[in-house]
Amino acid sequence: MKPIIAIAISCLASPAFADEKTPVNYNDHIKPIFRQHCAKCHGDDQQKAGLNLQSFEGAIKGGSGGKAVVAGRASASLLYQAITNTDAEARMPPNQPPLPEAQVKLILAWINDGLRESATSKSLAAIRDLTFKPTASAMVKPDGPPPMPGKLPTVTLPPVNHKLPIVAMDASPWAPLVAVAGQEHVRLIDIQTKKELGVLPFPEGVPHVIRFSRDGAVLLVAGGKPVQSGKAVLFDVRSGKRLAEIGDELDAVLAADLSPDQQLVAIGGSGKIVKVYGTSDGLLKYKLTRHTDWITAIGFSPDGNRLATADRSGGLHLWEPKTGGILLTLAEHKASIPSLHWRNDSRVLATAGEDGLLIWWDVVDGWPAISKPNAHPPKRPEGVYGRLRNGVLGVSFDGNGNLLTAGRDRVVRLWTADGQTTKSFEVSEAIPVTSRISHDGRTLICGDSLGELHFWTLPGTP
Amino acid sequence: MNRNTIILLIAFLVTASTDLFAEAPSFRRDVMPVFFRAGCNSGTCHGSARGKDGFMLSLFGYDAKGDYFRLTQELIGRRVNVAAPGESLMLKKASGQVPHTGGKRFDVESPYYQTLLKWVEAGAPDDPMNVPEPVEIKLEPDRLLFDVGAVAKPTVVTARYSDGTTRDVTKLALFNTNNPDTATVNADGVVTPGKRGDTFVFARFNRFTIGSEVIVLPKDSAIQWSNPPANNYIDELVYDRLQKLHLLPSALCDDETFVRRVYLDLAGVPPTVEQYRSFMSDANPKKREVLVDQLIASDEFAQVWTALWAESVRLMGGGYAPTGTDVKAAEAYYQWIHEQIKSNRPFNEFVAEQVTATGSNLTNGPANLYTMLVHNTRFTPKEFAANFSQLTMGIQIQCAECHNHPFDRWTMNDYYGFVSFFTGMKRKLGAEPREMYIFNDRSMQPAKHLVDDRPVPATVLGGEAAVPEMGDKRKALAEWLAAPDNPHFARNFSNRIWAHFFGRGLVEPVDDMRISNPPTNKPLLDALAKRFADSKFNLRALVRDICTSRVYQLASQPNETNAGDTRQFSRSRLRRLRADVLLDAIVVATSSERGFSYFPRGTKAIQYYPRTPGDTEGPNAGDPFFATFGRSRRGSICVCETRTESNLSQALHLLVGDTIDGRVGGGQVVPKLVAAGKSPDEIVEELFVRTLSRKPTSEERTAMRELIGDNVKDRKVYEDIFGSLLQSTEFGFNH
Repeated sequence: MKPIIAIAISCLASPAFADEKTPVNYNDHIKPIFRQHCAKCHGDDQQKAGLNLQSFEGAIKGGSGGKAVVAGRASASLLYQAITNTDAEARMPPNQPPLPEAQVKLILAWINDGLRESATSKSLAAIRDLTFKPTASAMVKPDGPPPMPGKLPTVTLPPVNHKLPIVAMDASPWAPLVAVAGQEHVRLIDIQTKKELGVLPFPEGVPHVIRFSRDGAVLLVAGGKPVQSGKAVLFDVRSGKRLAEIGDELDAVLAADLSPDQQLVAIGGSGKIVKVYGTSDGLLKYKLTRHTDWITAIGFSPDGNRLATADRSGGLHLWEPKTGGILLTLAEHKASIPSLHWRNDSRVLATAGEDGLLIWWDVVDGWPAISKPNAHPPKRPEGVYGRLRNGVLGVSFDGNGNLLTAGRDRVVRLWTADGQTTKSFEVSEAIPVTSRISHDGRTLICGDSLGELHFWTLPGTP
Repeated sequence: MNRNTIILLIAFLVTASTDLFAEAPSFRRDVMPVFFRAGCNSGTCHGSARGKDGFMLSLFGYDAKGDYFRLTQELIGRRVNVAAPGESLMLKKASGQVPHTGGKRFDVESPYYQTLLKWVEAGAPDDPMNVPEPVEIKLEPDRLLFDVGAVAKPTVVTARYSDGTTRDVTKLALFNTNNPDTATVNADGVVTPGKRGDTFVFARFNRFTIGSEVIVLPKDSAIQWSNPPANNYIDELVYDRLQKLHLLPSALCDDETFVRRVYLDLAGVPPTVEQYRSFMSDANPKKREVLVDQLIASDEFAQVWTALWAESVRLMGGGYAPTGTDVKAAEAYYQWIHEQIKSNRPFNEFVAEQVTATGSNLTNGPANLYTMLVHNTRFTPKEFAANFSQLTMGIQIQCAECHNHPFDRWTMNDYYGFVSFFTGMKRKLGAEPREMYIFNDRSMQPAKHLVDDRPVPATVLGGEAAVPEMGDKRKALAEWLAAPDNPHFARNFSNRIWAHFFGRGLVEPVDDMRISNPPTNKPLLDALAKRFADSKFNLRALVRDICTSRVYQLASQPNETNAGDTRQFSRSRLRRLRADVLLDAIVVATSSERGFSYFPRGTKAIQYYPRTPGDTEGPNAGDPFFATFGRSRRGSICVCETRTESNLSQALHLLVGDTIDGRVGGGQVVPKLVAAGKSPDEIVEELFVRTLSRKPTSEERTAMRELIGDNVKDRKVYEDIFGSLLQSTEFGFNH
């Protein structure tokens, strides 16, 4: 008889064991953990900081410090931060070893799955439909043949020691054309033939930003010389003529974009301020001063209703482009955001971080709809310990909502609209810095830190 | 300059530059030294932990891999631009072509700029694996002798690399002086003498620091060496140094000074009137040695050294169980220390037993090293390792937690390897609430290197390889530490012992031994350490050598040569009494006891350690008298916790506090003397001997007689005299 009893007891004693059928929920999984570790101070008898974790209602309600848990978002939940804090002095429970990893994982799953009370409860996290609908695209193909450069004037380029790393690059939204950064110039290359069609001189210095206008007819090039001068220049793609020069900065422009109606150019850099200029008169319209670090990425949404700006400390804001009023602050990145890109339907913004995070933002309410914490996991060489650099440097959508990213793991990765990674390509010799998908969605393009361009053609796509 | 020299010079410059860049500069070997020399990676600039203006380099270059990343890959194309090398922000900033908070560091024409430029031109390559690294640097000459006003002399720094090659790195090194009054050194290593004296100049390159001694002698000094006799090696080595520096030692002190000095130093109390008289009337020519031997063998001697050790291990008794420092534990530790000192246990064994101790803090005294050295509710291996190293070796390794020690040889590897001896140390609650059980958990992982999280196995300081991974690693540590040839242990403790008798270590402060803080008399420190080790770490033998030397017995009065000497022991130094010794001296002089809270009656100040009903985490001197007079509050491991400077609150305490006033007015000393029918002269003399261990001078006698006048039976006037003597500077000092 004895062994049977022992088995029965061991089953009873481990209720916190999640099987695959039961979704993680408060009653079955989480309450026992809270009782064991937290309820002495945050329970029915005592509610330190006004928090009672011994009941589902109490846990949802939170304490004097605000909500303890945010449905669907452990990274924004105080409770999760408190139990995973690496500083032993600040971690909960106080003066105790951290909670066992399995229990932390259960709590993580419970929060991210939407704080279910019981096995049959519904998730409290909002159901989001972020599927890409081509009909919602703001992309209306301009009339006439897509803009391609004609015969551009020959220019004498300064001699270079080595190729400039491809710190900026963009593909035309309508033509088989890619514009690539070089020292004091921009190269225009035919994606199909891989031939250079011409060169736009940029004596201002290093082009840190290259962006085609929505109609593909205008090219924005911004950059400069470090701690000397910076500028944004608009070129006519067909003739190579300079249309406008904007800004007169004391340092190279590191981030810039042209609004879809081509009325505004936003630039930023080490000054920590985003300046928005009118293209017709070249005058400063307004400044955005909320950032606390260098501006690293700027993008107008394709519908022209939002302006996203990012900085070197992970700060990310959405603005109303007409007035410069703040719409939302998107707090999730913990390190520099080198790159951001809008999906064509203006519903989703993708951001890439040096912290390894890749995020698809639902810009309606600023929710990280899909979040990949280690989107480009580097391989650990033998005998190497510690944190490996896993920053994501380049991010860009194609016209169908697919996303192409470039990472410090020296891999270029293709993601579907629902955040699944489908293909990856290695760049063995250098760090891939910039990534783009051609207008027809067939060719993946990457620029690397040795100044080389890589093209991969996808089979089977029309 | 004629034409030929110009041509020659040009030819030289050309060959030099082509020579320098026969191949692309290496990042570690050529580029990083430029950052070091130009100050880019110093602590106030980009070497700061958070960098400067958004750009960070590792402090003095401890993390080459990280520096390479931040320079070339963090912001691709900006700091380093391989397409247009001259446009690299790094070069523009350093040469002052664009605004730079740190200003212009060097010219475009300088070899520093050229090195960086060539490296960028070559594509800013990273080094292949196993690039040769410096293993040693040399500074020549290692000794510089000047007359005041003499012309400057150059020095040369040479680095030896792991592949056996050497290289002149004078232009890449940094120089500094320990005393700019005596000698200055410029950026090129040229030393210019200043005022008379001795000091060191240092060169730093890579992670190494090395010094050269500089002696500056007065011009035309015609000092006749006085040829004083030497009692032992201490005298010989001090004299040797004095002779080199053209200093003459002061005369020997008189017997009255000696008897007070040696009692205070060895017994922690001044001599009683009877002890004074018996010594003064002793006709034995060897009576000083006899007295030293007698005092070394006394209980008081053991009390003094027990107090010193208890203080240095931060021994305190508390009532807060989680720190493990209960009064009962403290008392167990204290009694254990006292037994060891009393039985003259070899000092290395005494320390080793504490290092390897385990078990209950209540019953196994020495295990309390692991509760006392760091007062905390948790055992913190890093803090413990740092305190332990500072105590047992005089070495401060904590700098190397975040970067290689900038002014010593210790690297982050040394630091984490040393911490790993203690990562397994744990404490758990014992059978009763006050009890803490100390043990070593062998399953614990070694400490992780800050730069790359690599586990660094337990390695002794300066050790080539980790200690074997078996059993309790602390045993290996204790064996290494206690070995006679350990390079740090004997030097540290003989320096600390020396400092007790001279008010200053040969290395000062005694708990900051580093290459850039060398001893003022290295042969002497070597000899003391050797003697300590050879005597099987016999504390009393070393103390006897010191106290019987003539150097210890010198007078404090200077002669015409040594008035300015504070470092070479050419005369006795005035030392304010330690707080506990001062209080015991007052008690002895006034024959009036002083009680302490939480201690039984009859406890002497020297036997006191802080006891509190609360917790022991904060600094606490215990008795308020100790707080005022600077007895160690044990708030940290630093020897500076014991303060012997004078201040106003001390003077006020002695003047109007009850320590002296109550004992003089309420005591029996004066009434007994008056009642015994002694003459005013006899009473005054007795009061002088009681307090200052000397008879009054004739001027003092005359003055006292005038003060007393006709009131020869008035105890008030004698009490005034008695009180003034106790408040006098002479009483408060050992001289």
